[in-house]
Amino acid sequence: MSYISISNLSKRFVRRGQWTEALSSVDLNIAKGSFVSFIGPSGCGKSTLLRIIGGLMKAEEGGIKVGGRSPQEMQADKQFGFVPQAPALFPWRTVLQNMNLPREVNKRSRTDLAEDEADPIELLQAVGLGDFLHAYPKELSGGMRQRVGIVRAFASGAPILLMDEPFSALDEITREVLMHQLVRIWEQHKKTVIFVTHNIQEAVYLSDQVVIMSSRPGRISRVVDIDLPRPRGEKIIESPEFYQYVVRLRESLRERWEA
Amino acid sequence: MNPSIPKSGSVQASQAKQPAATRIKLPEDRFDSRLKRTGFNLLPPLLTFVLIFVLWEALIWLLDIKLVILPAPSGIFGELFGEFSFYLPHIWLTFYEAVLGFMLGMAAALLLGVLMSQSRLLERALLPVAVMANVTPIVAIAPLFIIWFGFGALPKVLISAICAFFPMLINSITGFRAIDDNNHEYLKSLHASRFEIFLKLRLPNSLPFILSAARTCMSMSVIGAVVGEMSGASKGLGNVIMVSSNYMQMERTFAAIFLLAIMGIGLTSLVRLAERKLLHWHSAE
Ligand SMILES: Nc1ncnc2c1ncn2[C@@H]1O[C@H](COP(=O)(O)OP(=O)(O)OP(=O)(O)O)[C@@H](O)[C@H]1O
Ligand SMILES: [Mg+2]
Repeated sequence: MSYISISNLSKRFVRRGQWTEALSSVDLNIAKGSFVSFIGPSGCGKSTLLRIIGGLMKAEEGGIKVGGRSPQEMQADKQFGFVPQAPALFPWRTVLQNMNLPREVNKRSRTDLAEDEADPIELLQAVGLGDFLHAYPKELSGGMRQRVGIVRAFASGAPILLMDEPFSALDEITREVLMHQLVRIWEQHKKTVIFVTHNIQEAVYLSDQVVIMSSRPGRISRVVDIDLPRPRGEKIIESPEFYQYVVRLRESLRERWEA
Repeated sequence: MNPSIPKSGSVQASQAKQPAATRIKLPEDRFDSRLKRTGFNLLPPLLTFVLIFVLWEALIWLLDIKLVILPAPSGIFGELFGEFSFYLPHIWLTFYEAVLGFMLGMAAALLLGVLMSQSRLLERALLPVAVMANVTPIVAIAPLFIIWFGFGALPKVLISAICAFFPMLINSITGFRAIDDNNHEYLKSLHASRFEIFLKLRLPNSLPFILSAARTCMSMSVIGAVVGEMSGASKGLGNVIMVSSNYMQMERTFAAIFLLAIMGIGLTSLVRLAERKLLHWHSAE
């Protein structure tokens, strides 16, 4: 039973009269409530795929259904919580006002979602931002801003979260802390998460499934199920099973690189 | 016997636990230090002015410069404060024309800026007209306005509005357009309408641009009002300058010039104040 189903999807871009095949016949099924990571070399079309799922872009060929509907219909119903690479916080809004943004726009759609909304203050406290509810983005560090962006997606009540390398601009320690916080929130709220990353450990630690992509043209080369127990604590990272997954993913990524 | 160590340790711990409490205290401190800072900021320019006036006075006395060429500061200030009731209606009129012109020009520019930022076609059609109006010297157009709209305040308000219009137009268009791509895409992912994107993103984003343009526009509109008054009027500081310099009443001419300078400083500081109040979230502030 798949929640997001993609079949034979292709996407091309024209740039200076030349075609780039960003995605080529992609097939993928994603179950409801699962955490799926996308990993692959730069330019392999991860962000493009994320945008197509979120209804921000259209593919030329192939079909995509999200929850049985088109991405655009889902978007019109505010079913997506988007977390771009740089946290999209509005500088003139406080942390709390930024959290409320999804509620303020496109109000017509929100009839059935209201009960799914989580308390924004509780979520902010859970990621250690309880003292910054009324702070402006310029008063926050990069990691804090990214946390607000992630937590906002969870608070909005949207069942599908689309995260495009949310941790890529952070230092190693902050990244690890946020990773643990993300997995904890996710295990509580059980949303469907599409998570783009360049970091293998991150992908293994967070995901139910890791989708490995290769470039030129962008396609899916492998899907790896991660059968690690949940809830995932920090101990898992030191377990041999975790290590095996990391090694396996690294090898199949390297194959694609050299191929 | 060393009770001070655990004590100071516990004080630090309790402070670390309550960053909120320390933050509440801040406004008082800030008010106090802001007062001091304002004093510090005002002192150097004030001293410079005093120094200039003293040198000026000394030079006139030493070189025996005649009143018709350059009056002494003491004479100018004597005239200004001695005859203040004479200046008052003129100050008021020029102030009124400049402020009204500023508001009119700003409103027109913002309205057009909104439309032009939304449509490239409209921008291409209208921007050249605005540019042409901008590069034509206002002094050349002013007499026409006097002929068309008479000797009253109306032509001055219009000239002042034209002077304020262009910088505001260009800056507001830039502000409406220069939005962060991430934020734009984020709103789109929520299926925000074009109007919502304007209201929630473009408009607040343009605020720093608009306010910084407002400072320029404010001084431009004072210039516009004075140019209008010089082109034909019976009142206003521009008219006072024209008449008094024709009669070689140099102290009066200079008094009116000083008043205009003070008015310009006062009005632009008002805009600055608005900037500080409205843009506290902005990193450049
Ligand atoms: N708007 C666009 N116009 C033209 N070409 C584009 C556009 N967006 C993406 N592309 C091209 O499509 C390909 C895939 O881009 P995409 O951003 O999806 O890659 P990515 O996997 O997210 O890379 P990275 O890991 O560096 O973020 C690239 O070759 C890129 O040049
Ligand atoms: Mg990308």
